[in-house]
Amino acid sequence: MLLWPHWLALVVVVPLAGSVVTPAVARGSGRVAGRWAIGVMTVTFAIAITLVLRVAQTGPFSYWFGGWEPPYGIEFRFDEFSAFSAVIAFIGLLAVIFSQRYAEQALSPKRIPYYYCLLMLNLTGMIGFTVTGDLFNTYVFMEILSLSGYALVAVSGEKTAEMAAFKYLVLGAVSSLFVLLSIGMLYALTGSLNMADVSARLTAGVPKLPLIVALAAMTLGYMVKAAVFPLHIWLPDAHAIAPSPVSAVLSGLVVKMGVFGMLRMYQIVYRADVVDLSVLNTVLVWLGAISIVMGAFFAIFQDDIKMMLAYSTISNVGYIVMGLGLASQYSLIGASVHVFNHALIKSTLFLAAGAIIHRTGYRTLTDLRGVGHGMPLTGGAMAIGAISIVGIPPTAGFLCKWYIALGAFQAGRPFFGFALVFGALFIFIYYIRMVNAFYFQEPVHPEVARIGEAPVSMLAPMLILAALCLVMGILGRIPLSFIEPAVTRMLATIGG
Amino acid sequence: MKRASVAALLVLIAIPLLAAMAELPPHGSSETPAYTHVSERYLQRGAQEAGAENIVTDVILNYRGFDTNGEVTVIFTSVVAVAAILLLRDEERTSQERSSTPVSPVLLFIVRTMAPFIALFGMYVILFGHLSPGGGFQGGTILGALVIVSTVVLGPDVAHRMVPAPARPWLQAAAPLTFVTVGLAGLAVTGHYLGFPSGDEWGWVGTLMLVVIEIGIGVGGGTIMASIFWMMEEER
Repeated sequence: MLLWPHWLALVVVVPLAGSVVTPAVARGSGRVAGRWAIGVMTVTFAIAITLVLRVAQTGPFSYWFGGWEPPYGIEFRFDEFSAFSAVIAFIGLLAVIFSQRYAEQALSPKRIPYYYCLLMLNLTGMIGFTVTGDLFNTYVFMEILSLSGYALVAVSGEKTAEMAAFKYLVLGAVSSLFVLLSIGMLYALTGSLNMADVSARLTAGVPKLPLIVALAAMTLGYMVKAAVFPLHIWLPDAHAIAPSPVSAVLSGLVVKMGVFGMLRMYQIVYRADVVDLSVLNTVLVWLGAISIVMGAFFAIFQDDIKMMLAYSTISNVGYIVMGLGLASQYSLIGASVHVFNHALIKSTLFLAAGAIIHRTGYRTLTDLRGVGHGMPLTGGAMAIGAISIVGIPPTAGFLCKWYIALGAFQAGRPFFGFALVFGALFIFIYYIRMVNAFYFQEPVHPEVARIGEAPVSMLAPMLILAALCLVMGILGRIPLSFIEPAVTRMLATIGG
Repeated sequence: MKRASVAALLVLIAIPLLAAMAELPPHGSSETPAYTHVSERYLQRGAQEAGAENIVTDVILNYRGFDTNGEVTVIFTSVVAVAAILLLRDEERTSQERSSTPVSPVLLFIVRTMAPFIALFGMYVILFGHLSPGGGFQGGTILGALVIVSTVVLGPDVAHRMVPAPARPWLQAAAPLTFVTVGLAGLAVTGHYLGFPSGDEWGWVGTLMLVVIEIGIGVGGGTIMASIFWMMEEER
């Protein structure tokens, strides 16, 4: 193929160009905008898949924009972690398909082309964020994905949507500033913005205090984006109020960008090996453990299903952050794979919840009693998602949580392994409550129990995702062994 | 109490930040990494190899052009965000006659006389961005301000004709679209996305591509400013 070497650039350029012309192409028609979005995301997904295949065959590779060699120009670096971009494109595609019927009902017709445009910009930003090898470029993509994220929360038109979006905007903007400040300080220290080059130039001669403050500012900024307790306060409202396909994208993918940013930072610092990260790691482990427990604790008291799912995201990000902080081979593999698996599981759950709300118009567990009989396939997808997120074998949630727990023992911190199991029990309780309400309790509204299934364009995406939750449980070894070389490379310098 | 705790928190954050700033390499000294590593090459070779006399333009459009490609997308995102949030209100609102304030003839005369000169200056800033301070962002702001002034003084009907409605969605996306088009053209010519040909023989093509991008940024930026203003004006 002629364009083969350029696909790493095109995986961002194609959705970028596709999204900016959406309002112009659609000319006010939501239907045309929807079809256009499906086309653009399909192409993007296909490109992303070829990149994943290439990284599996040859290992990490780069693209130099404008032909300038790093550090003078901008470099895209596709490593095993960047394979998440394919998941972003895939879930983005499914969310766009799901939106076709959903948007018709939930959004005002004038807004729909802008909705698709924002959704694709958001996905573009995330894909760029995962593949770039340049610090400032990271910030640019973070702004694209954050700005479109704030607007996507407000777009639903519900009463409290604008307030939730505003809260998200203020906290998001502050966190972006922290990241930008940190990038500026790293530039002042090294004179470079290319990640690999910054890492190489962080030598023993670099003043320690500014470096530590820069790393702390970056972690703080990304922790807000990842909604780690106690910086999670923006998340529940924003994720619960957004249109359901957007919730799936926000909860499954956007919060992961915070984690991803931290992962990139760790790559830089581990390679440089100039500062002792044990304090930062301890903070992350504790905050992760607290997030697991607090997220689960708040979720138990929610009656609104989307609110419950939103709090569950806080718990799950807690697992990932704890895995990062434990900094052992197993925990890092587990955390990286959980980034991927949780994206699948949480999108399944939010899409299923969206379909249920779309059909019934209710959103609390009390109102939705018996809906499992009225919508058997959707209820089934929801149940599979629930089992997966608790981490019961053989579903997708099990192996990665198991690895994080193993990592806790490997790092000599068994306490956190137990915290993890304890958290899983908590999570089990509230998902059991949901399954119980859907299937075994007497309906409050009798019509809910015979409401009928959601349209195919909604069923198909969530059933595909639910199936993947099961498949990823059975074939769970594949992502684990795929990500292993990247983690090994990352830890090699600190002898982990 | 609340104020005191906020102040305490701010001080608590400020102390480590200030301490870290104090230990950073001194700002402005030519010995620091910020001046001796990447930017050194920009300053020494930028004018020859990157196609523009103005080094700032070289960096933002050529060396780090892809960042700017992303930044203009951020600006585009802002107009889409405003449209997505304000358009629904438009439907909900009962149509009411907007009371128009009469405009003083002095103001009308000044704006009518100045408008062509403002437009000319905006275009000058855009087109000479590769030689002197200025460029698409700055020039676009001038053009956008002109449309906004026209809206306020000459009335929306006159201003809307400056940016015709059918072309508006394309013009709003002008900046990222020009970037992608020029980027792909660069790919065809040099083999790299956003690659600009350089050297004695092909240097003028590279400069032309920079100017095209500047125009795209200018037109797109101006349209976006005016569009956001119009949407907020209707909302009021």
